[in-house]
Amino acid sequence: MTDIVITGIGVIGALGIGKEAFWESIRQANSGIRKIGSFDTSSFRSNVGGTVEGFEPGRFIPSSAYRRMSRISRMAVAASVEALGDSGLILEGVDRDRIAVVMGTAYGSSSRVEEFYKTLLKDGPRGAQPFLFPETVPNAPASQIAMFHRITGPNTTFCQNEVSAENAISYARDVLMDGHADVALAGGAEELSAILYLCYDALGALSRIKVEGPGSINPLPGGGLILGEGAGVLVMEKRKSALLRGARIYGTLKSSATRGGFASLGHYEPSGESMSRSLSMAIEQAGITPHDIDQIHVSANCSGELDRMEHAQLKKFPGLRLEDLGVIPLKYLTGDFGGAGAIRAAAALLSLHHRVPLPTVSAETLKADPPRPPEWRIRSDTKPQAALVTTSTFGGGSSSLVFTSE
Amino acid sequence: MQGPMKRAVSNRVAVTGIGVITSIGNDLFSFRKALFEGKNGVGPVTIFDTSDFPCRLGAQVRDDYLGASFSPQEIRRISRCDLLGLTAADEALFNSLLDLDECNKDRTGVVLGGGAGGMLSWERFRRGLWSGEKRPRPSPLLASAPCTLTDLIARRYELGGYRATITTACSSSATSIGYASDLIRSGRQDIVVTGGSEALSELTFAGFSSLRVMDPEACRPFDKNRRGLSLGEGAAVLVLENYDLALSRGAVIYAEVMGYAINADAFHMTAPDPEAKGVCSVMARALENAQVEPGQVDYINAHGTGTKANDAMETKAIKEVFGEEQARALAISSTKSMVGHCLGAAGAVETVATILALTEQLVPPTVNLEVPDPDCDLDYVPTSAREKKIRFALNNSFAFGGNNTSLVLGKV
Repeated sequence: MTDIVITGIGVIGALGIGKEAFWESIRQANSGIRKIGSFDTSSFRSNVGGTVEGFEPGRFIPSSAYRRMSRISRMAVAASVEALGDSGLILEGVDRDRIAVVMGTAYGSSSRVEEFYKTLLKDGPRGAQPFLFPETVPNAPASQIAMFHRITGPNTTFCQNEVSAENAISYARDVLMDGHADVALAGGAEELSAILYLCYDALGALSRIKVEGPGSINPLPGGGLILGEGAGVLVMEKRKSALLRGARIYGTLKSSATRGGFASLGHYEPSGESMSRSLSMAIEQAGITPHDIDQIHVSANCSGELDRMEHAQLKKFPGLRLEDLGVIPLKYLTGDFGGAGAIRAAAALLSLHHRVPLPTVSAETLKADPPRPPEWRIRSDTKPQAALVTTSTFGGGSSSLVFTSE
Repeated sequence: MQGPMKRAVSNRVAVTGIGVITSIGNDLFSFRKALFEGKNGVGPVTIFDTSDFPCRLGAQVRDDYLGASFSPQEIRRISRCDLLGLTAADEALFNSLLDLDECNKDRTGVVLGGGAGGMLSWERFRRGLWSGEKRPRPSPLLASAPCTLTDLIARRYELGGYRATITTACSSSATSIGYASDLIRSGRQDIVVTGGSEALSELTFAGFSSLRVMDPEACRPFDKNRRGLSLGEGAAVLVLENYDLALSRGAVIYAEVMGYAINADAFHMTAPDPEAKGVCSVMARALENAQVEPGQVDYINAHGTGTKANDAMETKAIKEVFGEEQARALAISSTKSMVGHCLGAAGAVETVATILALTEQLVPPTVNLEVPDPDCDLDYVPTSAREKKIRFALNNSFAFGGNNTSLVLGKV
């Protein structure tokens, strides 16, 4: 089977602007969850989130190009610029019909939807502002990436709640394996907007945390959902073509498995069956055993419901070295968002590439019984060679990816 | 257990179930009748206030179409978009005659295309806040994401296979059908429920209105006097199945999905590239992927929105890909002239129209096309349906952001 490898990484997130800053943060398990400064939270029951701070799009994109872009597109394009640069791929002279762009996002630019709809509410149909409309579509980030780099190959966008980016990475893998493209930029993005926060608050879904002043916090698992934002882009290609052009390889995406599950709207699958099935499929397809996995990234998001489900499924899953290794619930540090999968995958890939283990928490932390602050530390000094990134979403369904080091 | 398929089955993809609901018909039977009669589905939009809009028309699905199959509680809790989608999914699974208990549900996926999803529900909440309601009921928010329909269908039929929702605006559901066919062709799934749904919403209505691309009257694609599109709503769901498995259970096969391609214009968020480079390339690549020669194509269900820019650009692209002579021999129609532009559902609704053209060997017309345009000088089958031998057909969908999709379907 053709190996799909990752040759470039771009990250714009709460844990850092750029992959280097991100790497430093995750090595120290710094939290990116803090008081939201980008919009007024006084009327909500919470005021924290994994917000991206200090992002200057001009560092990555000329202002003429980003001026009209939504926040999510700015972050996505910036991440794509970093990832492409990092991959060493020179677009000049390359057939850009053979490069794919695949992104995942749960909501796209919710702020543009709100801004545009508000002009309609305020001034009626004749006052609705046309320049705010185009980026209300969730495919805007992927389209902006294509436009910015003039990449004309397969281009699409997935919205599947919290597995959106995983779906995108999985499709990109299919596109490469089926020969529809030679290179794929794949990932996810999300923006944390006032309207999205308002909706989640109205549904009572958020943790009721209010903090004063700056500084990051480590929320309690089970204390309630924390939202985040950011963008992550991976450059993916076939091993052979990566080797041919002498590219640096971060790791191999050995398998990706997606399974549907059944849950009520806004809830996680109570049984967790789809998670265990996606895990076994991904491990089987990767041609490894559960024992080979030395890094486990979970999607626990402090909601409690998801955290406990993942805990139960991991405990049940035979052969995982859970006790030695601990788990990495990166969303405890970044907050939860639909495009988070790409950033979590980036964490795994950087760790595999540097052969440096990441801090983890004990699996029992996810159980939140009783809730205790996550204690992040390096629990194993094994140089990581295989990482599992598993994600389950509300609405039902799970996705698992296996990455291996070179 | 799912895994690489070991069975010796073909990699062909059959369409074995179809469900459709639009302004011109609430099921496959009535849709087919209306489609070939050239019924105009565009009329006054009543689900929200359009009195201040320059264009007040759209292809809205009649209330009695939707009310019939759902309880008042479902109508309250599920978004209009998802009600439409469930209606189409129920019909598609029913007429596929699949016994789901006999199927491997772990190898049965749901891959849909979404547009604005439950935007109308979100708008009610948002308008409530705006007008000073203290606490508008938040529960409609739960159903406002574009992927809720995918989850609802999977849950209703307990389908545990691959699940994804593609959201590339006006080409979403065409891409979802392409991806669903990939999943079957490569042996990753046996059956995939695919297609898409869209409900009219203020946001999209105001959006297209603000871009001044809506015809104040019913749209007239390829007509010299065309002034823009008419928005529509509806849903279409297909059951795609591994061809051999479909044959072995004695299924009725409506058509074969031959292949598809997607790409990006990388040109502009809303305007098509007048050079039509992306659109030419997507049609050519779709044919290549389908291993169908341009000369074997007899019908194109055009994107044909009715905007000045699109129709001229698409005509130019068809000539470029097929050559002048063959382009003139092709039958081309825009069924958007009847059902409006159903955005996220457009690709799926038009795939159903294309499949019907293949099964009936009859070309659906472009209605309201009265005055020929020198820039659109091909055969758009104006006004009334026409008999024609159709072996292979192409279905085009182009979207905001320059996301193009072209699907190739074949007669069985």
